[in-house]
Amino acid sequence: MIVERADLSLPVRYSGLDDILKRVPVSVVWEITLACDLACQHCGSRAGRRRRDELTTAEAFDLVDQIAELGARSVGLIGGEAYLRKDWLQIIAAIRAAGMECDLQTGGRNLTDERVGQAAAAGLNAVGISIDGIGATHDRLRGVIGSFEMALAAMRNVRAHGLEVGVNTQINARTLHELRDLMDIIIEAGCHNWQLAITTAMGNAADHPDMLLQPWQMMEVLPLLAELASEGRERGLFLQPASNIGYFGPHESRLRNVMNEEIHFHGCNAGDTVMGIEADGTIKSCPGLPSPYAGGNIRDRRLRDIWENAEPMAFNRRRTVEDLWGYCRTCYYAETCLAGCTWTAHALMGRAGNNPMCHHRALDFDARGLRERLVKVKDAEGRSFDHGEFEIIVEAAGGEAALADG
Amino acid sequence: MAEAGRIPVPLRLCRGCRHFVRIENELCDFCGGDLAALEAAHAEGVAEIRAVTAALRAAIAARGVAEAG
Repeated sequence: MIVERADLSLPVRYSGLDDILKRVPVSVVWEITLACDLACQHCGSRAGRRRRDELTTAEAFDLVDQIAELGARSVGLIGGEAYLRKDWLQIIAAIRAAGMECDLQTGGRNLTDERVGQAAAAGLNAVGISIDGIGATHDRLRGVIGSFEMALAAMRNVRAHGLEVGVNTQINARTLHELRDLMDIIIEAGCHNWQLAITTAMGNAADHPDMLLQPWQMMEVLPLLAELASEGRERGLFLQPASNIGYFGPHESRLRNVMNEEIHFHGCNAGDTVMGIEADGTIKSCPGLPSPYAGGNIRDRRLRDIWENAEPMAFNRRRTVEDLWGYCRTCYYAETCLAGCTWTAHALMGRAGNNPMCHHRALDFDARGLRERLVKVKDAEGRSFDHGEFEIIVEAAGGEAALADG
Repeated sequence: MAEAGRIPVPLRLCRGCRHFVRIENELCDFCGGDLAALEAAHAEGVAEIRAVTAALRAAIAARGVAEAG
């Protein structure tokens, strides 16, 4: 999302045109460990146990300095579960000492009052807590009975220490119909920022195709989110759609309105203003992307060298309409959108450039009495950030197969 | 010096049907509306709302002063 940076009330992780021109990694998302205390059915990185060769504390400190040198403004710590790394408080303190904001994205299962207090003392700015559905829906998705109540308790702990609390929610077949009620719950709990993302067919999620939304369901998802965004704003909740939500239907402005109705999706920003880091020092242009997108490892090269020169990090600024395929190639919005979220398209189709999870596209098919349905044709191998492969079936809006999309 | 990132291709909002369209368009590709006329009508509406809001604020402030006095 591109906004005018002159508006200082916006979060520092929002990027402006100047950031793109200078290619500043404004927002860095850093998986500091793959260890996790939840067992999420949709986890893209298949978190649970530590990676074999996670960075040492000294290496992490050096990496913080290198991130700051590139001009990053915000570092988000993720996992696994970031607080399971013994030196997580030292890493937070180092990030803050280097002049950057630091937030924690967590499942919140064991984010105790004591832990939050320590993190606040270390300088943590904000916490985003994952809450996907209500009660048993959340517990089932997160693989731990009681995790919904634990997440709410974590929210209370965060607020008690004066930190900003947000909520991250996965939209999938199990959570879609609970979003409205969930919004009431998180507003009541004092949340002001709600980030929503469509569950992407990566890692564990690729093993649960029944959980994934179908492309035609974007006709239900986008109007609902636009409605919730408008209602949320009136109630003090700022809804932030992830880059894999869109694109360009009649609700685009209402959904993405950040104090300006003319803001719209501008395409994937991986490698332009966003950087992802894995716990072993692997550098990617977006935290969710699979290994072919890895630009290198900070144990082998300086971060600046990887950011500026590694070709796998440059796909976004090299991409043109000529690189698109299938429906996206001839779409009205092709030049601006460039097939939306690279992560989503690659995870579904095995390569970027054709993204069926799109509202404009679903509406276009619907106007012709058709819809697209995804069918899994290849399983994922079972590794972190892996994916299977899906085929698009074009069928009558009622469900009868018509033809396959190329 | 880092190579510049991809400069986004901007679009223009049609105030009639709320679709985004190409900035060089005069008519909306989705509803056929005259984009400039729709924008002018929208700006007029916004100005009216602002005027009413300002008048309301002034009335509330005046009432507050009267009650305090």
